[in-house]
Amino acid sequence: MLSLGETQDLFREALLGESAPMLVDLVESDGLDPRARLAVYRHHVFITLTATLEAAFPVVRQLVDRRFFAYVADAFIRQHPPASPCLDEYGSVFPKFLGAFEACERLPYLPDVARLEWAIHVAAQAPDVAPLDPALLGSVAPAEMAQLRFIPRAGLAYLVSAWPVDSIWRAHQDESEPMPDLGAGSAYLEIGPSGEGVFLRALEPAVLTFRSALFSGMTLGEAIEEAARKDPDLDFAGLIRGFLDDNLFSSFSIVTEEGT
Amino acid sequence: MDATIDHRAVAGIGLRARHVDELLDRRPVVPWVEVHAENYMANAAALASLQEIRRSYPLALHGVGLSLGSAGPLDLRHLERLARLVESIEPCVVSEHLSWSGSGGVYLNHLLPLPYTPGTLRVVVEHIEQVQERLGRRILVENPSSYLRFRHSSMPEAEFLGELVRHTGCGLLCDVNNVYVSAWNIGLDAEAYLAGLPAEAVGEIHLAGHAVNDVDGVSLLIDDHGSPVSPAVWRLYRQALDRFGPVPTLVEWDTDIPALDILLAEAHKADSVFTEARREMGHALAR
Repeated sequence: MLSLGETQDLFREALLGESAPMLVDLVESDGLDPRARLAVYRHHVFITLTATLEAAFPVVRQLVDRRFFAYVADAFIRQHPPASPCLDEYGSVFPKFLGAFEACERLPYLPDVARLEWAIHVAAQAPDVAPLDPALLGSVAPAEMAQLRFIPRAGLAYLVSAWPVDSIWRAHQDESEPMPDLGAGSAYLEIGPSGEGVFLRALEPAVLTFRSALFSGMTLGEAIEEAARKDPDLDFAGLIRGFLDDNLFSSFSIVTEEGT
Repeated sequence: MDATIDHRAVAGIGLRARHVDELLDRRPVVPWVEVHAENYMANAAALASLQEIRRSYPLALHGVGLSLGSAGPLDLRHLERLARLVESIEPCVVSEHLSWSGSGGVYLNHLLPLPYTPGTLRVVVEHIEQVQERLGRRILVENPSSYLRFRHSSMPEAEFLGELVRHTGCGLLCDVNNVYVSAWNIGLDAEAYLAGLPAEAVGEIHLAGHAVNDVDGVSLLIDDHGSPVSPAVWRLYRQALDRFGPVPTLVEWDTDIPALDILLAEAHKADSVFTEARREMGHALAR
């Protein structure tokens, strides 16, 4: 007799692939082919996980048709089944998967649209935290300003795409918005939680460089150097003021020589 | 910390995301609500709404992801998330399922069937004890809906549930629709099943609709929670009340989710069956 663990291994393989004869032999027929009984479970797993992906990637779903989406989702679920019961977290690697999926090659912007949708999905679930109080920065000595490191608020993300993915996304929220010219150029986007919703903002390339450098953990001094490489004529005071006004970070620390 | 459920009006509703805002706006009279715990573990925005609901309604947490029947160890990260949610929400009831869904690091998003053997019993008992110890409270364990049974099962499901109660002190959540669906699909006697459960352990009843699917010329009942409770399940509910006494009841509706008022009306229908059962029980006691 198979152990419980062996039975479950076979069952898992049968749900994500084909039913093993060994598993079929364990199941009472009760008037129906055991494979048909197993198929009821398999059907539920794929239908519900496909619906989970559709809910997180509604624009990707509209850019392809329902059948094609189900086909892609089927392949994704087999290769990347969920690792956690919290399905709000399921789908983070779907954009990358789309980029490597041969049948999606004719829609080269699809993976970046999916990246944008995942960022929106994450931002929508983020906690509503109090933003950094700019008055607190008043206590920082001018000599230490360059050493400031900011902690981003949860749900913040930056995305650079060679495609106008924000316009593509907007064209699928509101029917009056036309689908953009796909050659309209790159998008430099900031996504984050806003009140009870999500904001999606297009930034100047140098502003994105500056903010995403801070987001990745660089100090204020390092982030300014990064942005200056893109555009030496930037208004740095305005850059910092705009960053503080947009409530993007929840706290800060001062990096000392030792690196803390 | 246990908020008690008002037993004069018993039927609560399974609360799903699309009804949350309307419930908070309208505050309809409903004695309690139940949510799936997993929907509030990673989603801070949803949790904030749930805390607001908790201030107005007794709230039960119904877990679908602990996988009590997995042969391997429990997912401790998941158990910690559940424990934190329980601490923050202070639910009136915490329940889970007699099933498994995790295997080899993969979560299969379904309440999968178990062979009912002494080996399985040891695994599930150990996991229930671990959960109850971590949460510091008794949980209810729900009977699954089944589409198959294993040849090597050596005891009936109702007896298996009774053994879980005996070994762990857990309570039971009797899903009457699941009893009906399983009885139909794998040839059990639904009434004998109810009679086989330890009545005093049943702390909650679930009701839901099911679909009828034709599979190779055989009809299978699919527990899809996507329609009104069927007449046969209402009849079985009445029998369950006669057997278990006045047990808080919950109506679940998870696919093709209707307007909130339709769900509330279904809960009121459960109330009227419940009231009738109580009246007749009262008459029987008075005689």
